[in-house]
Amino acid sequence: MLASFLQFVFSGITVGSIYALCGLGFSIIFNASHVINFAQGEFIMIGGMATVSLVALGVPLPVAILLAILATMLVGFALEKFAVEPARKASVTTLIIITIGASIFLRGIAQELWDKNFHKLPPFSGDQPFLIAGASLMPQSLWVIGVTVVVIVGLGWFFNRTLEGKAMLATSFNTLAAQLVGVNTKKVLLMSFGLSAMLGAIGGIVITPITFTNYETGIMLGLKGFSAAVLGGLGNGMGAVVGGLIVGIAEAMAAGYFSSAYKDAVAFIIILFVLFFMPSGLFGKSGTERV
Amino acid sequence: MTLLVVDNLSKEFGGVHAVEGLSFAINPGTIHSIIGPNGAGKTTLFNLITGIYKPTVGRILFQDQDVTAKPPYELAMRGMSRTFQNLQVFFNMSALENVMVGRHLHLNRGILTSLLRLPAIAKGDAACRDKAAELMRFVGLERFLDAQADSMPYGALKRLEIARALAAEPALLLLDEPAAGLNATESHEVDEVISKVAKQGVTVVLVEHNMKMVMGISDHILVLDYGKKLAEGTPEQVRNNPDVIAAYLGGGAA
Amino acid sequence: MFRNERMIGLAVLAVIIAILPQFLPNNYYYDVAIQAGFNAIVCVGLNLLIGYAGQISLGHAGFFGLGAYASAILCTRYGWPPILALLAGALVVGVLAFVLARPILKLKGHYLAMATLGIGIIISIVLNTEAQITGGPDGISAGPFSIGGYTIKTEQTWYWVVGGTLLVAIWLANNLVDSPVGRALRAVNGSEVGAEVVGVDTARYKVLVFVVSAVFASVAGSLFAHYLPQITPAKADFFKSIEFVTMVVFGGMASTFGSLVGAVFLSALPQVLTVFEDYEAMILGAIMMGTMIFMPRGLVPTLGSLLVRRRG
Ligand SMILES: Nc1ncnc2c1ncn2[C@@H]1O[C@H](COP(=O)(O)OP(=O)(O)OP(=O)(O)O)[C@@H](O)[C@H]1O
Ligand SMILES: [Mg+2]
Repeated sequence: MLASFLQFVFSGITVGSIYALCGLGFSIIFNASHVINFAQGEFIMIGGMATVSLVALGVPLPVAILLAILATMLVGFALEKFAVEPARKASVTTLIIITIGASIFLRGIAQELWDKNFHKLPPFSGDQPFLIAGASLMPQSLWVIGVTVVVIVGLGWFFNRTLEGKAMLATSFNTLAAQLVGVNTKKVLLMSFGLSAMLGAIGGIVITPITFTNYETGIMLGLKGFSAAVLGGLGNGMGAVVGGLIVGIAEAMAAGYFSSAYKDAVAFIIILFVLFFMPSGLFGKSGTERV
Repeated sequence: MTLLVVDNLSKEFGGVHAVEGLSFAINPGTIHSIIGPNGAGKTTLFNLITGIYKPTVGRILFQDQDVTAKPPYELAMRGMSRTFQNLQVFFNMSALENVMVGRHLHLNRGILTSLLRLPAIAKGDAACRDKAAELMRFVGLERFLDAQADSMPYGALKRLEIARALAAEPALLLLDEPAAGLNATESHEVDEVISKVAKQGVTVVLVEHNMKMVMGISDHILVLDYGKKLAEGTPEQVRNNPDVIAAYLGGGAA
Repeated sequence: MFRNERMIGLAVLAVIIAILPQFLPNNYYYDVAIQAGFNAIVCVGLNLLIGYAGQISLGHAGFFGLGAYASAILCTRYGWPPILALLAGALVVGVLAFVLARPILKLKGHYLAMATLGIGIIISIVLNTEAQITGGPDGISAGPFSIGGYTIKTEQTWYWVVGGTLLVAIWLANNLVDSPVGRALRAVNGSEVGAEVVGVDTARYKVLVFVVSAVFASVAGSLFAHYLPQITPAKADFFKSIEFVTMVVFGGMASTFGSLVGAVFLSALPQVLTVFEDYEAMILGAIMMGTMIFMPRGLVPTLGSLLVRRRG
């Protein structure tokens, strides 16, 4: 009883961490630009796939990881520069189509560059599970959770302690005011895509030894990351993390106790339920709109 | 008989008391002005009366019925209409269509009749078009009969909102700074429109910073300061009220 | 004035539909035209929601799919006459859309996008999973469409059926747009508070247009199920929803003929792209990005204003 429950919690937190990273990516870009980047999932895919092929070429894992992150960030910058920036003034719907177009485009490239098969990475430190109250915890899960915690702490430091981070925060609160005090909001926008791409790539790399990856893995991960971000309240970083964990754990419980076929529906059922009662998510701002 | 009663009304925004413990009444057939410095709570009061905001405390009676926290469209059905300080024009439509939307409550709104375009719709629309054009002329917008709303200058849009509000044939018309941003001629035209509307028996509530206009056309004036009532009375009484003089001159707001 | 322009447009379209078969050399081309017609019916309805009322939906393929499956299931498993199944499907979808619409359409912008996306995905997962009823990923056949003893058998007949349905759909949509209800919908898009204070119950109108657009999708889905040998969950999934929205926006929001052009163009495009085989996805993505960046208002309005500028 307890053992299987714990087992579901472990796997829930593990995938929940990836949703959290992805949700954070959505939030960072949303804060900088009010754009929802539907290509966020593709960053996850590119991070994983790039690492796989670099390792296959004989590059040592740590170097491969670094290079893959850099490559994904370049994709992020390019996406901002060539697809989002020129359409900044467009409507929400138009921007949604642009980023979905970008994700289809990137998947198309991935399918050509690599293939349609599933690929995997070896676990970073073996596959000897730890046994905790009858449940087994894979070392790679600890990697996922640990890396996620480090990334979140790092982001907290970046936004609160560095000038660049503060400039990004300022832009999200009030773009015009930030411009007036000399923040280069164009650069902020570019940075937000780079940062989100980095988060996506990191998530994609640490999860690949567990879930494998192929050119299409980004679709569902991205959509669930989006639900995580909306669940927590768009633009709220901590909200995205909590949202990601909720979605991850609920999904693992549903798969374990109910039906694994409906696993993928869980995130969307939760989000609908929450939005029915809290139209701005769990921690979203809900002030009175000025008229 | 009173048309509108505001009773102990308050609205708070996260610590800011935009309107606080406000009570007053409006008699039908009058022009009732509400003045006060920036941030005094005039627009918030309009939003409360027309149901756009829900009050934190207090009641609003319209035509002797409690209408507190009723949605705006329902208040419109009961005979309220308004314009906005920050334009709420339908920029995706033509000027004439903007005013036609104002006739909404007076038209056949059946979904099946509309989908099949039964004769009732065509007939109603033709009459509605004429009426809307007439109203545009009434507020001095004859030049813009064929214009798209997004191609019109600010001053014209302000009057377009008045025409739209009048199209609903309200008993109570609330105008939030109708002359703001208008030049002297335009502002005088608006002044005349308001007087004409009042003569037709529509009760007007006016928020305006243009003191000459307010003193000239109002029957009654309410002065707000920090969300509270500072003074109330005829233009004469308000002009000579020491508190008002202190708030306007002493506070440096003027 | 508008009225006449639209009636002329409708007449021109009727003529085009009537003479197009002269230029369709074989069944393959008929098939492309028919599929474009089905997509166009959905898009004309969806445009009422997105283009006119300004509310996004990333889940309309769900309603299209529900209509299709309602027809397939009722006809094959329960032996219903196709027309009754179509009506029952439309009724079920209409009621479902009505129930969902109230809470959903309170949401704005990206929250609305998320909620509609969620509904679409849940529907497609259910269609995939409840294999005993839906046939699962392999899908289910609805059988031929027959009415009063007459059965639609050939591609040619389908062409006329779809063309006629499309004309009716456009006629209905244009009627709605050019009515007090339609003006109220556009007013909701322009300014919700502005509409409310002159008596428009904005919540009610948003629900109404959501239901109408869902029913359009459902009817198209029902016919589509009979046209295809087999209806599969892929016809109801997230990408199909995106395809519909892209067609609407590509053609030009708040333009019924824009939706039509968008649907026809993007339905034909993949047929052209198959030449490029492996690069199909890349090119499709690039076209989606490119057109939205360079023509954010869509094809028909952009061309329209170009023409006006030339003339002026
Ligand atoms: N939606 C809102 N959310 C938060 N605070 C608000 C909101 N609307 C108004 N306020 C605050 O309430 C106070 C009163 O504002 P209001 O707009 O009613 O003043 P006003 O008298 O109309 O001013 P003005 O003459 O500048 O139009 C102000 O402090 C304003 O910042
Ligand atoms: Mg004001």
